[in-house]
Formats: sequence, structure tokens, C-alpha cells
Amino acid sequence: MKSTPLSRANPLALLTIGLFAIVGSLGVRDLRVGLVTVAVVVALGAVLVPRGSHGAWRLLGPMLGAASVALSTWLLAGRDGELAVTAGLRILVLAIPGVWIAPLIDPQRLGDYLAQRLRLPARPVAAITVSLQRFEALGATWTQLEWARRARGLGPGADPVARLRHVSALTFGLLVGALRGSARTAVAMDARGFASARWRTWAEPAPWRGVDTEVVLGAVALAALPYALSYALAAWL
Amino acid sequence: MSVTPSESGRPVGLRFEGFGWRPAGSRRAALSEVDLSVDAGQRVLVTGPSGAGKSTLLRAAAGLLGTDIEGDMSGRVLVDGAAPGTHPIGLLLQNPADAIVAESVGRDVAFGPENLGVPREEIWRRVSEALELVGFPYDHHTPTRTLSGGETQRMALAGALALRPGLLLLDEPTAMLDPDSAGVVRRAVAAVVAATGATLVVAEHRLEPWLDRVDRVLVLDADGRLICDDTPVGAVTRNWLALERAGLWLPGLPPPRPVPVSADLARPSQLVSGDVMCAEALQLRLRTRSLRGAREQLALAGVDARLTSGRIHAFTGRSGAGKSTLVAALAGLIAPTSGAVRAHPSMAAGLGEHPHRWRSRDLAARLGWVPQNAEHSFVSRHLVDEVRATSDRLGREVDVPAVLETVGLGRLATADPYRLSGGEQRRLALVAALAHRPLVALLDEPTVGQDRHTWAAVVGWMTALTTAGCAVGVATHDEDLLNSVVAESTVLVAGRGGDRR
Repeated sequence: MKSTPLSRANPLALLTIGLFAIVGSLGVRDLRVGLVTVAVVVALGAVLVPRGSHGAWRLLGPMLGAASVALSTWLLAGRDGELAVTAGLRILVLAIPGVWIAPLIDPQRLGDYLAQRLRLPARPVAAITVSLQRFEALGATWTQLEWARRARGLGPGADPVARLRHVSALTFGLLVGALRGSARTAVAMDARGFASARWRTWAEPAPWRGVDTEVVLGAVALAALPYALSYALAAWL
Repeated sequence: MSVTPSESGRPVGLRFEGFGWRPAGSRRAALSEVDLSVDAGQRVLVTGPSGAGKSTLLRAAAGLLGTDIEGDMSGRVLVDGAAPGTHPIGLLLQNPADAIVAESVGRDVAFGPENLGVPREEIWRRVSEALELVGFPYDHHTPTRTLSGGETQRMALAGALALRPGLLLLDEPTAMLDPDSAGVVRRAVAAVVAATGATLVVAEHRLEPWLDRVDRVLVLDADGRLICDDTPVGAVTRNWLALERAGLWLPGLPPPRPVPVSADLARPSQLVSGDVMCAEALQLRLRTRSLRGAREQLALAGVDARLTSGRIHAFTGRSGAGKSTLVAALAGLIAPTSGAVRAHPSMAAGLGEHPHRWRSRDLAARLGWVPQNAEHSFVSRHLVDEVRATSDRLGREVDVPAVLETVGLGRLATADPYRLSGGEQRRLALVAALAHRPLVALLDEPTVGQDRHTWAAVVGWMTALTTAGCAVGVATHDEDLLNSVVAESTVLVAGRGGDRR
């Protein structure tokens, strides 16, 4: 994996990109501004997001969201094409940075930074860190539940109602499984001193380095872009 | 309750005084009137049948009852004369996967010292020392998810040691492991105990591998009462009969006689003779998805296998060799990446020869799959409904009371599957997957970590299946099973089908 500022930055710095994207998206009020901002976001992403974590399928979610917002804007706001597309672009500006940043965030390091930089309470932070890294186990449980139901003749056919019922049965099974699994993990955690830990130390430090500041400044600049573009358009065109 | 450095590391004693425990929502007490004292530095084996309360005893000593686990307690537990929780205690659980708390080995082992508020330099000193003590083969940047079961269990042992515990509690630490990995874990435990002098309490079904590593054996009966407290030699000589009746595996004792199961309970409506199913050059890539993208792994790299009516075919090999994946693929649950799984035309009966393409109902009408993790297979809230679920779906008759009786669950017919003990859940999953009388039965590690009662029930059903003319495939590394009923076996090595015997 090629090293870029985004792969070296700490998780808090990465999170600011997502937060500032909210601010930036609110500045998209014009079709041209929207097009330029989305182009800049995609171009920056292509350069800065390390390979391996910017699969095209990740953009599917934001695309669908943008399309549905554009469609409903078109239907509800007098079938105005420009307004509709702008609304869609706003969603892309909001969501694309997030879907690219999310896979770069290491739950363990996020915990280190939340506790040591932001001074959030140690126990909840440690608990969240553990549960995030157990996410993968949920996928395995889902597969097991699906296999068991299929092998026992309880899988869904083509009927959409049956499919819906099947998914809700699996979801319930997953919840039960997750609860029981997390109860066992809680036992393991408490047996390792978590029960009586009022404060805890952290095995890794959470330093703030130059690259982190650069990433935050970049996030601010990206958020400012649509506002600057709007201002320029109003002033000169 | 914080632990000061001077308190840690010293072996501590353990005492139960009139101790009893009834889990919340259960009518039956898990433990009753236990009076017991373990001296500092003593090494104790606690044994008893599935559901006897061995785990409960260990959790009580770890101070987890009443906090993590709800229920009614009577009497008291003392660790070094004080309430549990004051001294660091090392607890190892049956499934090491449940104990993983971090993405890298180093951070996982560091979790305990972090909780104790140990300074950073000291944390890493303890991590290195603990990993060395258990003979861990990789460095601490190794991702935890890439470890095998045995490696994960050794990491968990290191995680416990990093607390510098004066008392080590091991709850069936090798139940989920293959024999080689289990041996490595037991040797690591022995080395650790020799080096630290910590008091050891280990719960297990199988006495033999631990007998020369402990100096005292305690036996609980099915009702959670202490029925034997003796030296290892005394336990197996003086209490032999009681131990055998309790369903324990004893040195030199042959495997139990299979429970008699009527072949009528297993007989399919239509039989196919000869080879019923086969796998040809079967290749399988498995994809796992996580928050940070997906990764792929080659689970099977070209395997040939066949299932023949009236015979049991075993798939063996170390953990991670692809046994479970092969059994799931034969059961029509995963689509092959290349190669094929084929069903005999008279079994397919007009459906096409690839089981993974069949509809769920058509698949169930022909096949039964017993998963390794029983808990994830339950679809009902009562045992009765659990056993009849598939038959109802297929419109087949099933004698539910007779089926439940074969696995000793007759009196629990209206209970909730989740309330059963581990062994009972395993037996329920077995009959729930087979009660609709499929032509082909596929079982994934049906006997691993089970007591003799469950073993006899599983083998009883496998025998009934073959008598009835079914084709049976089983993923297993249980030597007793291989030597008793298995007709033919394929050894898998790293996803490749190798030797036959």
C-alpha cells in the first residue's frame, strides 16, 4: 500500500475530514459549485486515498443516496432539473469523503486517541474499541445462521414477503447471537481486570504530528471550497 | 479495588464455604453446598459431566457471578481470604475467539495490564515475558484474526499471565482444539505453572491428559455436588465407577457403547444405492468482510470426495485444513469457486446435479447438516418445535418424543434451546438436523469437547443412519470416532485432499 498523508494521519485527524464534509456540503447551493466541488473531492481521493481502500463499489452508497435525493427534489420542487442535480451533488460532497475515510480508521488507534487526546472516559472507550474489532464476527455468525436455516428447509424462496420474513428471522438470530457472544466477551474482559479498572493506562501513545495538522487544514480547505466558489461566482460572473 | 504490584504474582489459595448458585431464570441449581479449600500453589483438576457446574465454579472464583452473570448465590467464595476481584486472577475460556479484545497480539495481551493501570514500559515488558512463557511463535504485531484456535488460546493464556495472577482458572481450555494444538496448549500451561508457581484450577471432561500435571482431582455430579476429592491416582482407582457413570473420559477406558437408536427414526423414504454424492476437484475461496474491506482465503484447493450409501466417510486434518468448508460445500451451502459437487441423478430427482443451486426445501428434503456451533442453528423457542421444524416444512411425520428420548432430552421437551448446557445443545442440534430423515447426513465436528453421554448419542445416531442406508459425511479429528464407526477417511492438508485410509 502506497503511503499517503491519509494513511499516516491519526484517526482523529481523519474524522475531521468527515465532520468538515458536513460543513462543506451545506455550501453547495449552485450546480456549477457542486460540479467543481465533487470533481475536486474525487480527484483528491484518487490521489490521496491509499489503494486497496477506494474500491469503486464503495461509491455505490453515496451514488444511490444522491440519486434518490435528486429524484425526490425533482418531484417535490417543481420538476426543476438544476435544483435536483445540485441537491444530489450536495449529498456526494457530504458522503464520499466519509466512505473513503472509514476503512482507514483503525478502531484500536481511534480508542487510543479518544482516550488520550480527547480525554474521554477510559472504560467506555475501551468497550467501544473491543466491540468495533468484533464486527467481523457478526458476518461469520450471519453466514452460520443462513446456512442452518437453508439446510433445514427454512430458507426463503423467490417470494419477496418470505424473503423479508427470512431476513428478519436472521436479524433476530444475529442479535441473540451477538448478545450471547458479547456476554462471553464481557466475562473474558472482566476476568482481565476490566471490571475493577477505574482508570487505565494505554499501551500505545497518541502523538499529534505534522501530518495530522496538514490533514486537518486540508479538511478545512475542502469545506471552504464551495463557499469560496460561490463568492467568486457572485463577484466575478 | 486496585491491585498493587506487591500483591500480584504470589500464589494464592481459594475457598468455597457452603457455596451454591442458581442461574437467573433456571429452576435447577448449578452448584449446591460446595465446601472446598484449595491451597496456594496447588494444581487441581475439576471434572464432571456436561452441565455439572464446572464453569460456574471457575466463574465464581473469578468473581464474575452476580456481576456479569445473573442469579442467586448462597454461601461465599474467598480468594486468599478476601472477596474475589482483589487479587489478579487469570481465567481462560473454552472458546478462545470469545476472549479476543484487540486487532494485534501485543495489544490483546496488553489489555490486562492496561486495566491494572500499569505504566507503558512495564506493560510491554509484561507482554514480551508472557508471550515468551507460553512459547508464542510470532511477534506482537501479528493480527489476532490470522491465528489458529491453538495459537489464539496460547495468546489468551499470555493475556491472563500479563496480569501476574496468583491463581489460574482454565475452563475446558482445549475443548475446541485439535489433538496436536491441545497438546501444545497443555504443555504451555504446565510450563507457566512451573515458572510462576501459580495455583491452578482446570475444568475438563477428559482426565487423562491432565492427570500427571495436577495433584488433586475434584469431581462434580450432574446436580453440581462434589462427589470425589482425591489424588489423581486415587480418583481413577477408587472412584472409577462413579466417574464412568458421570460420563467422563478415563485413561484406558474404551469409548462408550453407542446409544441404541432405532433405524426407523432415520430411514429415508427413498434410498439410493452406491455413490450418492461426490466432490470433483473442488476449489473454494471464502470471502470475509470487515469494517476495513474484504479479504479472500483459499479454503479448498482441489478436493475429491464421495459419499456412499450405508457408509460413514470422515474428513480429517488439522484445524484450518478445510474440513468444515468441505462438509458445508457437500451440504449445498456454498457455491464452488471451481470444480463441482454433484448429486446422483436419482437423489436429485429432476433438480439438476448441483446441490448449491437447489431451493432450501428441496435441499432439506434430501440432506441434513449438523453444524459445529449448535447455538447458531436454533430456529424455535421450544425443544419440541425445534425437532419438528423441518419435518413440518416438508410435510413429513416425526415421532418427536422418541427422537428426544434417544438423546436424553425427553424430560426437557418444553424447555428453551438456549437454556440447555453445551452438551445438551449439541445433542439437540444433532436430532433437529436429522429428524426429517434425509438421505445424506453431513456432520461438522459432532463430538469435539463432548462428554461420553453426548459422544454415545452422536455415534448412536450415526450408526442408525448407516443401518437405514443413508450416506454420512463427517468432519472430525476424534480418534475414537474414526476407530469405531468410520468406514473410510480422507485427510485434508491445507485445503488439499490427500491420503485415504
